[in-house]
Amino acid sequence: MKTTGYVNVSLNVNGRSYEVEAEPRTLLIDLLRNTLKIKSVRRGCEEGECGACTVLLNGKPIYSCLTLAVQVDGAEILTVEGLIKDEKMHSLMQAFIENYAVQCGYCTPGMILAAYYLLNTVENPTEEDIRRSVSGNLCRCTGYVNIIKAIKDTVRRKKRENQIKVTKGDAPYKV
Amino acid sequence: MASSVVEWKGERDIRLMSGKGCYIDDVELPNMVYCLLLGSTHAHARIKNIDVDKALRVPGVIMILTGKDLVNVMDPLPANADYRSFGWHWRIPKVYPLATDKVRFMGEPVAAVIAEDPYKASDALGLIEVEYEPLPVVIDAVKGMEANSPLLYDEWGDNIQAHVTFNFGDIDATFSEADRIIKVSWRERRVSGFPIEPRGCVAWYDGSTDTLNVWSSTQTPLLAQQFIARALRISINKVRVVAPDVGGAFGNKLNWWKDVIVCAASIITGRPIKWFENRRENFATGPHQRDVIWHGEVAVKDDGRILGVKAKFIVDVGVEGTNRGAGAPSIVPASCSVPNAYKIKALHVDAYAIVTNKSFYCAYRGYGKDKGIKFMERIVDIVGRELNVPPEEVRFRNFIQPNEFPYKQISGYVYDSGDYPHVLKKALEMIDINTWRDKRGLRGRSKYLGIGMAFTVEPGGGAISHSIFNAITLARIKITPDGTVEAYTDQTEIGQGSKVVTAQVVSDILGVKITDVVVHPTSSDITGAGPWSSRGAVYSLSAAAKAAKKLRERVFKAGSKVLNEDIENIEIKDSTVYSTKDPSKRMSMKDLALYIYFFPGPRGLQKELQLEHETLLDVSETWFSPNTAQNPTSTYTTYCSSADIAVVEVDVGTGDVEILRYVHVHDAGKIINREVVEGQIHGGVVQGIGEALSEDLTYDESGRLLAASYMDYVMPTALDAPNIEVGHVETLSPFTELGTKGMGEAPAIGSKVVIINAIEDALSPFNIVITDAPATKEKIWRWVFQSMKGHSR
Repeated sequence: MKTTGYVNVSLNVNGRSYEVEAEPRTLLIDLLRNTLKIKSVRRGCEEGECGACTVLLNGKPIYSCLTLAVQVDGAEILTVEGLIKDEKMHSLMQAFIENYAVQCGYCTPGMILAAYYLLNTVENPTEEDIRRSVSGNLCRCTGYVNIIKAIKDTVRRKKRENQIKVTKGDAPYKV
Repeated sequence: MASSVVEWKGERDIRLMSGKGCYIDDVELPNMVYCLLLGSTHAHARIKNIDVDKALRVPGVIMILTGKDLVNVMDPLPANADYRSFGWHWRIPKVYPLATDKVRFMGEPVAAVIAEDPYKASDALGLIEVEYEPLPVVIDAVKGMEANSPLLYDEWGDNIQAHVTFNFGDIDATFSEADRIIKVSWRERRVSGFPIEPRGCVAWYDGSTDTLNVWSSTQTPLLAQQFIARALRISINKVRVVAPDVGGAFGNKLNWWKDVIVCAASIITGRPIKWFENRRENFATGPHQRDVIWHGEVAVKDDGRILGVKAKFIVDVGVEGTNRGAGAPSIVPASCSVPNAYKIKALHVDAYAIVTNKSFYCAYRGYGKDKGIKFMERIVDIVGRELNVPPEEVRFRNFIQPNEFPYKQISGYVYDSGDYPHVLKKALEMIDINTWRDKRGLRGRSKYLGIGMAFTVEPGGGAISHSIFNAITLARIKITPDGTVEAYTDQTEIGQGSKVVTAQVVSDILGVKITDVVVHPTSSDITGAGPWSSRGAVYSLSAAAKAAKKLRERVFKAGSKVLNEDIENIEIKDSTVYSTKDPSKRMSMKDLALYIYFFPGPRGLQKELQLEHETLLDVSETWFSPNTAQNPTSTYTTYCSSADIAVVEVDVGTGDVEILRYVHVHDAGKIINREVVEGQIHGGVVQGIGEALSEDLTYDESGRLLAASYMDYVMPTALDAPNIEVGHVETLSPFTELGTKGMGEAPAIGSKVVIINAIEDALSPFNIVITDAPATKEKIWRWVFQSMKGHSR
């Protein structure tokens, strides 16, 4: 049943489907945090400047504080919660831990999603690409040094994994 | 770093990354309602009337509070620092967190709406009608000092909140020895920390126990408890404050005046209430810092020795700097930090804190110490240029030498230890100074290369008398019946890494696995003033180490008795107590604890193990440091040192500044966790670079904050931040338990002035002396343009 003044929104978040009611003015960040209790989406500025509320909408990073819940009807949303599969975290998250890239942690989920998008879309990102990919995400603790290191680290690891795959398929080491 | 340490730290990281953290906006209580604050639309005005009738009719609105309601339930905000007893000119304004008779800055809260959800509160906010009678505005602190200036507080008769004159050494005799007197002016504009998580709190007055429970995004729950209770006239033991995960602080979360509104509303309604400010509110009503003007004269010898400094120093503290926050006292460390790393003979500072119609003054990384240090680092460079002596040479000629510690600085500070020449030499080597010197000057069509350096001695660990920052610190460590360890300190984890460092120290001393140590979140249940002024490595870690050492003795005694072995043969490692003589005699900490707690239990055995081991450092009596509490200037225990060197390229056509290389060498005594220290350096350096190049809280003539968002207040992004090369030197502090020194602020101090010095060096063909930071693109372009036109600025 539909409450007066509310709109039905169906969306898929981290592989799970939801049917919810939202006021037309409800922001996506509020739908995610308050209704669906997906808390990695952080409120930092509510005007599209800090990037702490970044989520992937149909694979592309957006600011959920500048998006209305009703705009995402039928869409797929990814948050950091969706990067943990079978209790195993994504290699980016591991790299953030190992490189001491998390200080207060408030900007981290947005950073990770921005970097995840880069890894999925650019084959061999340069340092400039990496810096640009997270330039819409502000961090006040780390000076970005270890964040950039962590992303570079993941790129390197991914490259190595790809090389191993190629090696196996092409079997270049015939005796 | 050992993988077990990374694993320990990773548990927190993964929690925070994956949405399982609990920042203030994640705190939810049953029946919780929301508070939004209505800010003034005038910078200075009398409130004629506030009409809340329409707003109250919005469905879901529970209550609307104004200043008139608050005066019935609270006293004016208590003073955080009161130096009147020193005979200083020091004024405490009578202010409430919601304006009562008049507003004194744009955004000052005039009403609080409590509603079932934030959207409804927002609807109501727009329906409150406030009638103002505008008053003339004070925006320029210097003009605010003039006799005919409009007044913020009529009862004061002027706009001077504080005026203190410091005289160290014989200034007249010193100036008469000088070969020449050099004039130096230096101004820093208004800035602040603006952590990505703004301020917020959840207050719940529980009528059944008559207790006010508060979760606040604060650095220091103990001070929050005291402030809130005093403001609301309730006894301190009826207030409990817990700090949840805190999304950055940098000194910006040492103020609780807005929490008081939320607490009052919860007491009145009996409902749990959340207030979580938005970014514009954070900019317009948050704590601000810097905004200083120095005019000085420096007595020098022709060989580059700096003999003395005479200065007038004006700070714009906005609406006030004692009650909402505690920024006004920063004029004291600002004055006393001027001598920095150097042996000068005399210092005279005439310091003023002037009120204007801007947001209030509180702490941000550096807290005044930074102001004196940056002024001196400008002086050193200007002296070098005037005398044609390289900047490093001026520093080497004036440095306190390694054999002179502990060094009693003329301003009252007692420097614990250091090797300043070594730190600077190492930085010069790392950057390869001569190679870059050869490249100075014009490169290409419009780019000029310059090199800057700065040296910082950061007073760390604060114990400030006549203020709530008295700085008593307590650590409590306990072995539980299963052999795991619980640690409590006053070090709220605000991203600075205090938890992992505490766990490392406790684990090392006790011989337990770090994975067996839990460091609890801070609350007002633990005595301790918390993290500010780089206190963690100075006091809190010392207290934790001392408590762990005491507990270690107890474990040895218990182990000796239970294993039936002489105490000198007992050792603990990896959570196992064993005999070094007879390897068959061994017991896990778990078994030992179970044995002593329950089976057979304490009767006749070593029950001391069950005690919680507490160590209280009364640092206001100045623990270890040979300072005295009576001297208001000697409030710090350790003095880390650091050298910053930057190579920049300035495009005089566009004003763009590119940082080609950045080196930071520091000496913070014993390093517990290198990555944590480096994290502090990286973050601090980039904050300082932001201050040097772009951050500026400009107000227009009507008192409107022009930079009230991240779009207008330009903080560095990942594209602006340089790669930072870090060098470590370790000269242990004799005044702390482990030889550690506070170091959280130094990187944000040196980095600002090093960039200014580097830009000035790059612009030396244009004969430009920079007297005003930030050096924005526009300003650089203007300076060069005017210089080329032949005008003097």
